[in-house]
Amino acid sequence: MNKLIQELQQAAAERETRRHFLHTCSTGLGAMALSSVLGSCGFFGKENPQSNAVGSALPSGEPTAPHPSQYIPKAKRIIYIHMAGSPSQLELFDYKPELAKYNGKDCPQALLEGKKFAFIRGTPKMLGPQGKFAQRGQSGAWVSDYMPHLQGVVDDISFLKAMHTDQFNHAPAQLLMHTGSARLGRPSMGSWVTYGLGTENDNLPGYIVLASGGKQPDAGKSVWGSGFLPTVYQGVQCRTDGDPVLFASDPSGISRDIRKQTIDAISQINQQQYDEVKDPEILTRIAQYELAFRMQMSVPDAMDIKSEPQYMLDSYGVDPNKGSFARNCLLARRLVERGVRFVQLFDWGWDTHGTSADGSIDIGLKAKCQESDQAVAALLNDLKQRGLLEDTLVVWGGEFGRTPMQENRDGQTLPFMGRDHHLEAFTVWMAGGGVKKGFSFGETDDIGYYGVKDKVHIHDLQATILHLLGFDHTKLTYQFQGRPFRLTDVAGKIVKPILA
Amino acid sequence: MKTSWVLFGALGIGTTVMLSSFLGFFEKRVDYNTQVKPLLNKNCIVCHGGVKKASDFSLLFKHEALAPAKSGKPAIIPGDADASEMIRRLTLSDPDERMPLDHPALKPDEIDLLRKWIDQGAEWGDHWAYQPVQKPEVPKIGTLWSRLGIAENDETNWATNEIDHFILDKLKQDGLKPSPEADRATLIRRVSLDLTGLPPTEKEAADFLADKSANAYEKVVDRLLRSPAYGERWTGMWLDLARYADTKGYERDPGRKIWRYRDWLIKAFNEDKPFDQFTIEQLAGDLLPNPTDDQLVATGFHRNTMTNDEGGTQDEEFRTAAVIDRVNTTWDVFQGTTFACIQCHSHPYDPFTHDEYYKYLAFFNNTRDEDVTSDTPTLRFYKPADSLKVLDLQQYIASAVPTPKQAQATIAQVTHLLRTVEPKINSHDFDQYVNASLLDAKYFGFQDKGSCRIKNVTLTGRPRLLIKWGTKATNATVTLRQDKPDGPILAQIPTPKPGKDTVQMIALPAVQGRHNLYLSLNSPEKPKDWVQIKWVAFTPVLPGQPQNAIGEKDKLLLELLNADAEQTPIMLDGSGDLVRETHIFERGNWMVKGKRVSPDVPKSFPAMEPKLPKNRLGLARWIVSREHPLTARVAVNRFWEQLFGTGIVETVEDMGTQGIQPTHRELLDYLAAEFMETDQWSVKKLLKRMVLSATYRQQSSATPEMLAKDPFNKLLARGPRVRLSAEAVHDQALAVSKLLSQKMYGPSVMPIQPDGIWQSPYDGESWKQSTGEDLHRRALYTYWKRTAPYPSMVTFDSPSREFCQLRRLRTNTPLQALVTLNDPVYVEAAEHLASYMRSQGQTPEQQIQAGFRQVMLRDLPPKKLAVLVRLYRATEQYYRQKPGEVDKLLDRPGADCSAVSPQLAALTVTANTMLNLDEVITKE
Repeated sequence: MNKLIQELQQAAAERETRRHFLHTCSTGLGAMALSSVLGSCGFFGKENPQSNAVGSALPSGEPTAPHPSQYIPKAKRIIYIHMAGSPSQLELFDYKPELAKYNGKDCPQALLEGKKFAFIRGTPKMLGPQGKFAQRGQSGAWVSDYMPHLQGVVDDISFLKAMHTDQFNHAPAQLLMHTGSARLGRPSMGSWVTYGLGTENDNLPGYIVLASGGKQPDAGKSVWGSGFLPTVYQGVQCRTDGDPVLFASDPSGISRDIRKQTIDAISQINQQQYDEVKDPEILTRIAQYELAFRMQMSVPDAMDIKSEPQYMLDSYGVDPNKGSFARNCLLARRLVERGVRFVQLFDWGWDTHGTSADGSIDIGLKAKCQESDQAVAALLNDLKQRGLLEDTLVVWGGEFGRTPMQENRDGQTLPFMGRDHHLEAFTVWMAGGGVKKGFSFGETDDIGYYGVKDKVHIHDLQATILHLLGFDHTKLTYQFQGRPFRLTDVAGKIVKPILA
Repeated sequence: MKTSWVLFGALGIGTTVMLSSFLGFFEKRVDYNTQVKPLLNKNCIVCHGGVKKASDFSLLFKHEALAPAKSGKPAIIPGDADASEMIRRLTLSDPDERMPLDHPALKPDEIDLLRKWIDQGAEWGDHWAYQPVQKPEVPKIGTLWSRLGIAENDETNWATNEIDHFILDKLKQDGLKPSPEADRATLIRRVSLDLTGLPPTEKEAADFLADKSANAYEKVVDRLLRSPAYGERWTGMWLDLARYADTKGYERDPGRKIWRYRDWLIKAFNEDKPFDQFTIEQLAGDLLPNPTDDQLVATGFHRNTMTNDEGGTQDEEFRTAAVIDRVNTTWDVFQGTTFACIQCHSHPYDPFTHDEYYKYLAFFNNTRDEDVTSDTPTLRFYKPADSLKVLDLQQYIASAVPTPKQAQATIAQVTHLLRTVEPKINSHDFDQYVNASLLDAKYFGFQDKGSCRIKNVTLTGRPRLLIKWGTKATNATVTLRQDKPDGPILAQIPTPKPGKDTVQMIALPAVQGRHNLYLSLNSPEKPKDWVQIKWVAFTPVLPGQPQNAIGEKDKLLLELLNADAEQTPIMLDGSGDLVRETHIFERGNWMVKGKRVSPDVPKSFPAMEPKLPKNRLGLARWIVSREHPLTARVAVNRFWEQLFGTGIVETVEDMGTQGIQPTHRELLDYLAAEFMETDQWSVKKLLKRMVLSATYRQQSSATPEMLAKDPFNKLLARGPRVRLSAEAVHDQALAVSKLLSQKMYGPSVMPIQPDGIWQSPYDGESWKQSTGEDLHRRALYTYWKRTAPYPSMVTFDSPSREFCQLRRLRTNTPLQALVTLNDPVYVEAAEHLASYMRSQGQTPEQQIQAGFRQVMLRDLPPKKLAVLVRLYRATEQYYRQKPGEVDKLLDRPGADCSAVSPQLAALTVTANTMLNLDEVITKE
């Protein structure tokens, strides 16, 4: 193996000018060689730290402003918890006693004119907050009784209460959140991060996705796709049924030992082939087969939570035999512990319109909170206890918010209490690596309709996340269709006040 | 004073001109394209180019660069570098003044070069790829005697055609020698995989090895070019460019039946439809005179754009997105130039302006597709019984119309209506809603007392209203009025019976001219139930049918319009009331419309010939005109890349100024010229030319000297060695294990796929595994869902096909290993290969050799054989001891139980190993 690595490095050095995908990058795209490749190829300004790689595609800023330096990362890895469908901020974090006063009254026309809603038609009625709010922890963060466990960890959290987006349908809003664009085809945040940082663990994919709630997010696999980036950077979905990674299990009747022998045979013959034809790609292939073999061991191992002690399972509220959001939270900890760079959780079922009991804010939302609250709090505590929270960023949120009005789908009164999609205001929180503890940023108006102070757009959130991971979001770019692309498109401002 | 200044100036220019031409004797002229433009692009254009023109100075166009800047004087004075502000600013020491601002200064030799260029007159040159294709002279090789065939010479002996002359010429400059021809087994495998996507059979290889005739190889090439598999292989490539998929994309990503377009491609490649015609039919087949079904199906190329069926999305937004995608894809595919930048602003690097984007877009902006759920317009294929009725109707018209010419026109109009249900007005265009809504943001609906307007309808000669609608309401009536909500009543129409949407026909009184029409609903029984309208159309009356009532033949027409028919999306242009205007979108935002533009091509290219129509057809003919500098170059480069692994211009997607410089520019031009002139756009002739070259036939192994001098084989001193495409990896495994089905064409199939790949949030569509031979079709027939493409294809670098992808970047990942090791498709292939191996010998050595020959058409060398035999013996022993494991490995549906044995299990493991060897998944 040592000899192989040496040869690989030598071959890589010989091919320094190869433009395989990153104009000046060497070697093939093996994940094994990724971190070293990425570290050495100067793909975002390393060659020339002063170069403004994306300036050409940007509207002019201050031409004389100093170029920001490269940052030292505060977070080395990230767990992004996406509550697909979008939880109601008005029931959970954004306490609006004024809204209670208007409960049942017609929505003022001023709030409706020129607005488009996914389902609200005509004049809906206002709907007061359904949760019971109180200030929690030292920091006095407002959290409702829907999330009793989270109340205990608020002093580790920074709330962004005046988030806003451009999209009021699930799929485009999720795409905007994760790829920076509402249209399909752009790389996801996790792809950008693995493209930029590589992976810390050679035996596991650098970007892993776990989904719960019975369905994939509305926007499908595109929210963890690599878009125009090479496919090595796409998220690998670890599935809750069947193989955790597709085709990671040996076929029935082929034992580990036999698989080891076949990989050895393949490597030996490939080595002989290399000796004959000297194609360095063969060395990469040998390395990839050996990595595949190790992944076959390490992925199931990482995914096997039965090895966790019972008290740990209890603290997350996990039934080890069932796929669940709580299980995914525990898995997320196991994965970041093993050096996975980007763990993306999706939990489906937060879309509470009021069309059914499950999809209501008084019954369904409460149930979703009960399913998830304990696990999220446990995850933060667990990370903290292991000293991982310092350099692990945890992000929690949906793709948009929910209206202060009760939904009246197609002008009808719905059987349950619900709120429509709302793009003007919602809450996202972050904890860990590089963000302030026990902090709240941004305010909405008295009824939670508009952000009125310290608004944060999706692109700002993305810029901030990249910043915490050590990137200047304007310089993490990739040349495609004749221009450099980036996660934050042509926008994005770092939310500096929340940085620790 | 003034006069003397002018005089002095003139004198000055005279002197510099003389001086520079004098210096020209000693100094090589600076070449703008290769020397100056790269410098400007790298250092200046970001601030002084298309997007930004800092200090009003831009270097993009000559007229801009020589015009006075903000200071009032030009920054470049041709012939006088010393007087040019540009040079002064490059050489200052004050960091606030020195250019490039906040960036390191240019190197002295770079500044010298710019100085020289300005002194020589600051001549602008067009980018090489924007200049017309001229056939360059073929470099001479060998000696005069060897060229005459009198003397032996290595070079003339090696070369087989002109391609080799260009390659050799360059190799000599770099002190490299070409490689000898690959052995025949390797060569036939290479050329078979390249031309048909499939490996040769053992018999084909043996025949070639035994054929001693001088043109043995050419015979193989000719056979491959005639093989039906040829069309399938090249269609596989084209599907990425056409962003072909079996679903519509976006959130819901429901199914779309457009496989007839895929089949059209296969036939077009197989019949070697000339590339110019191939292009015209795909871009504008519908605008050809009396288009055939095939020509209409070909326009599916641009109907592969995504359609958004999600609730609440605006059809116009996504119609616009589709049109923009068509513009970008047309440039990407045929012109190898990224045009998308100028959607928002003038191009930062290439000579295109913002306006020109929208002029070009205007060619595409007139099609009838409007992001509606039904994906119309479509071409309808009637069931046989209904086809007979269509014939009946046509015959009736022929008999009912007095003159044949008139009959022909009427038949054409009615047939067009029956086959495409166009022209029609989609209901999302209705406005002035009262008690009405665009239901799910898709189709118009109204409730009791509701109403709406249909704008600007020409009624002259169209006394029939066709309406497709449905409702749950009962005993409701819709009133159609002219000009005003309370204007004259044209018709009172009872709503259809509750149930499926139907097309109805209503006779209208004869009305002349263009009118606004008003629909109002009276629905007292069920006032809250929606009446939903999909579309309306106003048509002429069939000949011989009553004006004021629905006649027999009217009913036949209606029956056909309501008949179930298979459909495939096509392009059709709107005419009359349905013609669309095109406006510039300010900064690329479709909501902010700027000035109106009409169709035209960018000024940097040859103008369209005046006789060409200013529509898609004219555009398509312009694209394939001999004068167009890009189309042939781009096509030739793409085919070259497919064979050699890298294009002559590596950036196949970009031949513009940001693309990578060609390695063999003259060769590219030579091939482009031959492609257009000698070969008359025949792709088969082009490919034959390439694969017959000695360059292509070289062995692919490298020597240390080659690796040192040319690590990436840009100069081609050796043959191509690249990993197979996703399709070829799959098809080869099925072919060598004799599982591959020969079946061609038809709806896409669903081979074995792990559970849980498809999760459609709303519509619950699912992967229904195919049966019989459809389990083992070539990869290009696999059902392609954009949001969840077939996993092993994606792992081997297929794009998701949401947008046109011009080049697959080859990756080398552990997930690929897991596919070919463990994917049941590959395990099944290994098992079948093992059965074959067992039948081919007594000893493991014989069996393994037989298996390897089946895959690689040659024997394994002893050292490699020894590795596999060792593996075989170890596994056989294991399976002997664990018979239960044998059953687990081999027990699959359809397996022959009597054949199950430890030997077969061990051979299966050996075959599985063999199918994972680097040389097997690589084209050598």
